[in-house]
Amino acid sequence: MLLIKCPYCQEDRPEIEFSYSGEAHIARPLNPDDLSDEEWAEYLFIRSNRRGLHHERWLHAHGCARFFNALRDTVSDKFELTYKMGEPKAQVKK
Amino acid sequence: MLSELKIDQAVELAPILTGEVDLLPVQTRYSLRVKPKERCAFIEASNIDLPAQIGKMSVQYDRVVLCIGPDEYILICSLAEREPLARKFEELMGKYIFSATDISHRNVSFILSGEQTTNMINVGCPLDLSLENFPVGKCTRTIFESAEIILFRMGKTKFQLETWRSFAPFIVGYFEKYCLQNRGK
Amino acid sequence: MTLHRKPEYGRVNRGKPINFSFDGKIYSAFDGDSLASALLAHGVHLVGRSFKYHRPRGFVAAGPEEPNALVTFDRGPGRVTPNVRATTLEVFDGLVAHSQNNWPSLTFDMGAVNDLFYMLFPAGFYNKTFMWPKSFWDRVYEPAIRKMAGLGPAPIDEDADIYASQYMHCETLIVGAGPAGIAAALAASEKPGRVILVDEQYEFGGSLLSTPNMVINDIPAWQWLEDSLAILKARENVTLLTRTTVIGYYHENFLGAVERITDHEKDLSSHKPRERLYKIRAGEVVLATGAIERPLVFQSNDRPGVMLASAAHTYLNRYGVVVGEKIALFTCHDSAYEVIFDLADAGISIAGVIDVRDQVSETIIAAAKARNIEILTGTIVSGTSGKFRVSSLRASKIEDGKITSTWEIACDCLLMCGGWTPSIHLFSHSKGSLKWREDLGAYIPDNPNENVISVGACNGTFGLRKIMTEGAGGSTEYQVNAGAFGSGIIPATFPTEGDPAKVKAFVDFQNDVTEKDINLAVREGLKSIEHVKRYTTTGMATDQGKTSNLNALQIAAKAVYKPVQQVGLTTFRPPYTPTTFGALVGGKDGHSFHVIRKTPMDGWAEDHGAVFEPVALWRRARYFPRDGEDMLAAVNRECLTTRCSLGIFDASTLGKVEVIGPDAAEFMNRMYTNPWLKLKPGSCRYGLMLGEDGYIMDDGVIGRLAENHFHVTTTTGGAPRVFRMMEDYRQTEWPELDVWLTSTTEQWAVIALNGPNARKLIEPFVEGIDLSEEKFPHMAVREGRICGVETRLFRVSFSGELGFEINVPAHYGRALWETLFIAGQKYDITPYGTETMHVLRAEKGFIIVGQDTDGTVTPMDVGMSWAIGKKKKDFVGKRSLSRPDIMAEGRKQLVGLLTDDPNIVLEEGAQLIANPEQSIPMDMIGHVTSSYWSATLNRSIALAMVKNGHALTESNVYIPMPGKIYKAQVSKCVFYDPNGERLNVI
Repeated sequence: MLLIKCPYCQEDRPEIEFSYSGEAHIARPLNPDDLSDEEWAEYLFIRSNRRGLHHERWLHAHGCARFFNALRDTVSDKFELTYKMGEPKAQVKK
Repeated sequence: MLSELKIDQAVELAPILTGEVDLLPVQTRYSLRVKPKERCAFIEASNIDLPAQIGKMSVQYDRVVLCIGPDEYILICSLAEREPLARKFEELMGKYIFSATDISHRNVSFILSGEQTTNMINVGCPLDLSLENFPVGKCTRTIFESAEIILFRMGKTKFQLETWRSFAPFIVGYFEKYCLQNRGK
Repeated sequence: MTLHRKPEYGRVNRGKPINFSFDGKIYSAFDGDSLASALLAHGVHLVGRSFKYHRPRGFVAAGPEEPNALVTFDRGPGRVTPNVRATTLEVFDGLVAHSQNNWPSLTFDMGAVNDLFYMLFPAGFYNKTFMWPKSFWDRVYEPAIRKMAGLGPAPIDEDADIYASQYMHCETLIVGAGPAGIAAALAASEKPGRVILVDEQYEFGGSLLSTPNMVINDIPAWQWLEDSLAILKARENVTLLTRTTVIGYYHENFLGAVERITDHEKDLSSHKPRERLYKIRAGEVVLATGAIERPLVFQSNDRPGVMLASAAHTYLNRYGVVVGEKIALFTCHDSAYEVIFDLADAGISIAGVIDVRDQVSETIIAAAKARNIEILTGTIVSGTSGKFRVSSLRASKIEDGKITSTWEIACDCLLMCGGWTPSIHLFSHSKGSLKWREDLGAYIPDNPNENVISVGACNGTFGLRKIMTEGAGGSTEYQVNAGAFGSGIIPATFPTEGDPAKVKAFVDFQNDVTEKDINLAVREGLKSIEHVKRYTTTGMATDQGKTSNLNALQIAAKAVYKPVQQVGLTTFRPPYTPTTFGALVGGKDGHSFHVIRKTPMDGWAEDHGAVFEPVALWRRARYFPRDGEDMLAAVNRECLTTRCSLGIFDASTLGKVEVIGPDAAEFMNRMYTNPWLKLKPGSCRYGLMLGEDGYIMDDGVIGRLAENHFHVTTTTGGAPRVFRMMEDYRQTEWPELDVWLTSTTEQWAVIALNGPNARKLIEPFVEGIDLSEEKFPHMAVREGRICGVETRLFRVSFSGELGFEINVPAHYGRALWETLFIAGQKYDITPYGTETMHVLRAEKGFIIVGQDTDGTVTPMDVGMSWAIGKKKKDFVGKRSLSRPDIMAEGRKQLVGLLTDDPNIVLEEGAQLIANPEQSIPMDMIGHVTSSYWSATLNRSIALAMVKNGHALTESNVYIPMPGKIYKAQVSKCVFYDPNGERLNVI
């Protein structure tokens, strides 16, 4: 069971308090009607499914109940860092 | 003809739990949310002490306020305080940006006490409950097996555990097993 | 004193004699014995039959690595555990154990014919044989194989024991309480921080328990052990756990450990759990798991009486048991000499030492000479004889890799030592990388993936002084009397005299895999050890190859002429040793298995004979049978009574969300398809929620209590995911909105009253609300009091009848229900459950999300375009409603179905076809989603999703069901009171 640092609680907490919420930094378009079918399909369905460092959304469901963003390694499963919603997208170190 | 209906928290505590687990009578509980930048003003206007940090709690008279999210508080107090509080929230509504929802009957509360309390909670709760990591006065929402709980520490060996009404028997079942296995009463 | 027990030796409690039974025979033992030591004390070596060939087998080891001596531990019905290693089973007075995998008996086993037909069981024999005819697999081959091959039978009774689990936290977890682990614990516990020391054995000490002659810092080993444990016990920050096996090492220093609590106790009446699973989170982990001695691979090395040298050492020094009267040793490593010297010093006759190496050290030669022990260097054991126990060995002189001469040596026990394998299992679980140590012929830990260190033998460090100093992390320098641990070579394979194809030199004792099986696998093209493992099953038995992996690897590497590192190493996976299901369940059984949520009125329903059904985590009353009614009769009565007079229904499980804040209406407007901005406080609206993909996600009635305050209801099953989705949009897409959500599902008990007498019933109890049709119309909500208790009263209907949903604070629910039920007697009130609720709504054509929809259904598909706010610029899912595939022709649409034969109730899920004459496979055009007998209409009704269904009204469709194809006419979805007149009964 992983330990996940909740950026709101500022604590390492057990994984079972959290739930995964898909890839991060995919903002809902402000004016969906302006999008072509292809663009809308891209927003709805296309995800990067990355091997290695991956930007993810997590929810501290049984904790502070906040969604936050994380950079996680999909190979080792481990979290590199977590940060609050609205903060800039974490850069992946080369 | 119009009489008060009987209150039924639908929780039964086996005799083996005596001294370890107590059910609190019905409390007044509010889920309070306050826009963070209005917190100080709201405290002043309401005289409700909202802790500044997640995981902290304040105690005023017999009123406890837990901060369990960035802008989320649980206020727990006696039944007598309910009417005045409800009136107060009504007055403040529109003047401040906040939300107050009565959840008095949503939760039931248990007082857990005794030397074995942390072990008993750790049967289902994965948090480190050592005094260093979970000092007196700390509160949090967390999980007990598959039931969500709110846990706060009132003393070295005394905790209050809140859970939604329908999850209570599930949790109490674990406590019963624990007490039976470890005390054999 | 039994024949094979040595006075003055061992740690067993001779003051506490006990009796146990093995295969029905009673034996004596002492407290502190393992089943293995107790049997060996009686000269019992034969304890089992092997997996494939049913060969007689005895003890190989003295610890958890034992591959052969698996027994069934029998504590009576519900307490039978197969495949327990006799070497780790503690004997108590009255213990009962049986041997396994033999029929009719251990000494006369019919399955042993397999040994004569070994050519039928080559590597990969499952894959090669029994392929034809295919049908024979299920009926003939598999049952036969299962009967012949296998371990102990799985128990069939329900487990009579109880189990427990517990989370634990510490700063330092030390796994293994041998000399390295204890030294580590002494050092760690001097600092603040919690230290947990665990060991799988019932007593701490590890290898020290077998080496009482050691002297540590001038103190005899056992005295040092006692002193050290006393120090640790006295330290408040130390937790000592014996009989506790760390079974798995998971992410971020999270480890699982199982404590065996009652298996060694005679008394079964206690309330103690049999085992407890500890889920330990440690800051730092110190692995001090030691090493396992490696067998040598030679012809007939599996005969009872052939065992690891270290095992004989343990049996002698720890249990006071001598494993033979004339003992020989076959070794390639110095470490075994200490064993043979100890045995000689105990007065045991030594048949000789066969050492593969051409030379051994002068020190060893001198020590052997002093004891009159003959060392045969450059010699191997090329075979053994004896029926159920070794009686002699064949020694063969080797020159230039060939056997030059062979002779017999009589012995009743042959010890073997093929070097040592560090126990890297847990390190490997933690995904640390390994490195090859050529001198050890083994892998040791390299780069850790967690905050972990390995100390002592598991780290490839040997020799007591080095082990203990490493364990102490350099903080303490230990002085010991022991000499150097010595060294050895790794021979992997030996030359043979006869036809190599007939030699049975066992590598994996438990799965009966021989050297020639591995060679055959390599010859057949399997070059990776992972493939060799799967083909031969080596290392795949319940011991996960603790004694066999490295030998298999060396043999395979030799066969492909590659260095071992290039052949790889199989992956270790949890659990380290076999673990009971009970321990893994850890007390989460019975009522603790999962949450069963009950409503405030559940107790009343139970008292009144309700039949329940699970709905999400809830249990809900399904129907209330009276006087022996079956479900259909009860539901018919409940439906008719409700339509004619009055029904009462527990709707408390409906999800409820309080939406409050200045932007509440805007938030609702974005989340739901319907328009909310202009809904007046005091009014309700049916709300439809889509996913962003445009498909129906949830629905429910939503009341506006004030400008900035909505009371939202959701479906029972959808409540958690709807709440989460709303929170997701609130927090991450629209953080600018000032609005908050609070789940109030359990704050309110909800009593739904339906039927023409609903208003009359509640009128006398309600205060502060004008219930008249004009002041309180359909789809309105009011706050007031009922029976003196605050209420949110909704005038809504999911049945088509005049209806109210009374929300009261949950703890009042049952009392209010009882009050209304008693008062309702004059209207012949009936309680009804979910089944009647379903029928009543289906008669009105109301959908149930998740039953009539399946996550691929749009509002248009179910004829609910009316619920979409046409003028709204945006809401969740809106853009998707104009996706090409959603606009396309030929989508399935919701329709009603009326069977030609009104008595036929279609099966839910049945497929629809347009033409019954077509050939198979038929073209399926839809399926039945809801189907009931309607007592009100005195006929069956159904709802179905049908391709282009809305255009098919009044046409015929056909429904194939078992035995017959039924005909039905497509209809509108509303079967009853299409104009909704009954809602407004005065």
